[in-house]
Amino acid sequence: MTRSQRSVHRLLWPLLAFAVVLGFAMALTLRPPPNAELLPAAQDLIP
Amino acid sequence: MSSAFRAVQWNRTKVVYDGILLAGVTLYIGGYLILAHWLDPPKDLPAAIDLRIRAFGSCAFFMLTIILSIGPVARLDRRFLPVLYNRRHFGVLTFLVALVHASFMVEWYAVQNALPSLYDELTKFSDYGKFIGFPFKALGIVTLLILFLMAATSHDYWLVFLTPSVWKRLHMALYAAYGLVVMHVALGVMQNDRNPFIPAMLASGFALVTLLHLVAGWRERAGDRAGARRSEGWLAVGPPLSIPDKGARIVTPPRGERIAVFRDGTQIGALSNLCAHQNGPIGEGRIIDGCVTCPWHGYQYRLADGCAPPPFTEKLVTYRVRIAHGVVEVDPRPLPPGTPATVRYE
Repeated sequence: MTRSQRSVHRLLWPLLAFAVVLGFAMALTLRPPPNAELLPAAQDLIP
Repeated sequence: MSSAFRAVQWNRTKVVYDGILLAGVTLYIGGYLILAHWLDPPKDLPAAIDLRIRAFGSCAFFMLTIILSIGPVARLDRRFLPVLYNRRHFGVLTFLVALVHASFMVEWYAVQNALPSLYDELTKFSDYGKFIGFPFKALGIVTLLILFLMAATSHDYWLVFLTPSVWKRLHMALYAAYGLVVMHVALGVMQNDRNPFIPAMLASGFALVTLLHLVAGWRERAGDRAGARRSEGWLAVGPPLSIPDKGARIVTPPRGERIAVFRDGTQIGALSNLCAHQNGPIGEGRIIDGCVTCPWHGYQYRLADGCAPPPFTEKLVTYRVRIAHGVVEVDPRPLPPGTPATVRYE
C-alpha cells in the first residue's frame, strides 16, 4: 500500500467503527419488544 | 504476472485454494439447511425459502468477515500470506453467495404473489427518514452492487487499466460494504428475531475485523517514520551485513514511499517497496531464483535494475545506493523505473 492509502486506511477504520457501533447499539436498544405486533390484537380481547 | 491477456491463469495453488473455498461454502450452507430442517422443519414454501435466505446471507457475512481479516492478519503474521494469494476468488465467490441470498429474497415475495410489496417497501421514501423501520433491504442492495463492482473489476485487466493505486482505492469500498451489511442485518432480521446469535454474530465479526485493522494500521504507522538522514539527504540503512542475505531492510524517506534495500550476497540494491502489480510490500519478500519476489502474488524483478525478467515488462523505480564509512546509504530521490543502480561491497 502507498503512504496515502495507509493514511486513508488509518482514518477510515475508526470512523467506520464509530458509525457502525453507534448504529448497531441504537438498532439493538430501540428494537420493538417481542410480540409487539400482537399487542393491538391482545388489547381487543380486554373487556 | 502476465505478458498477454488471459481470463484466469490457473495453477495448482489456485485450484486447491478454490477447492477449499467451495467445500467450505457447501459444508456451511448444507450443514445449516440440514440442521435447521431437523430442528424446526419449515411449515410451508415461504418458510423453506426463508431458511435459504438466512443460510446464504449468514454465509456471505462470514465470508466477508474472513476476507476483510486476511489483509491485516497477513501483515501481522507472515504465515497467513498464502491465504492472501487468491483472495480475489474469495471475493467473487462471496458476491455469488450474496447474489443467491438476494435472489431467494425475491423468490420469497414471488411465491406469495407479493412482488409489488417489495417494490412498495423500497420506494416508500418516507421510511428512509426513519431509523427503526428504515428499508433495510436497500442497504443490502447497495452492498450487493459494491460486491458486484469489486468482482467485476477483480481481474488484472482492470488493475492495469485503472492503475494499482486507483484500483486499491476503489476496492476500499468493501469496508463500507461491510458496515452496510452489519446495518442491513441489525435493522432487518435482528428487529424481529430474538435469537441472541444474530447480534452476537454481528458484534463479534465486526469487532474482530475492526480490531485487526486498527492493530495492523498502528503497527504500520511505526514504519512510516522517516529513517535517519546522512549527508546530502541520503538515508542510512546500516552496515551491509545488517541486511539479511536475499532479504531486505525497509527505510522511509521523510516524504515519499518506502524503499526496500536488498542484499544478494555482496550485491546491494534499492527498489521501491511498492510492487507494480498491487502495490504489495516488495521489501517483505525474498530473492528467489535471483529475482526479488513479492510476497503477495509472486511477481518478480531483477535486483540490478528493477525490471521483471523477460517476457514480462513490469519495472520498478530504483534508487542509488552507496557505502560510506561501512554504512549502506540510499538516495531517496527515485530513478526512472528500470535504471540499474546496485553496488557491491568487499
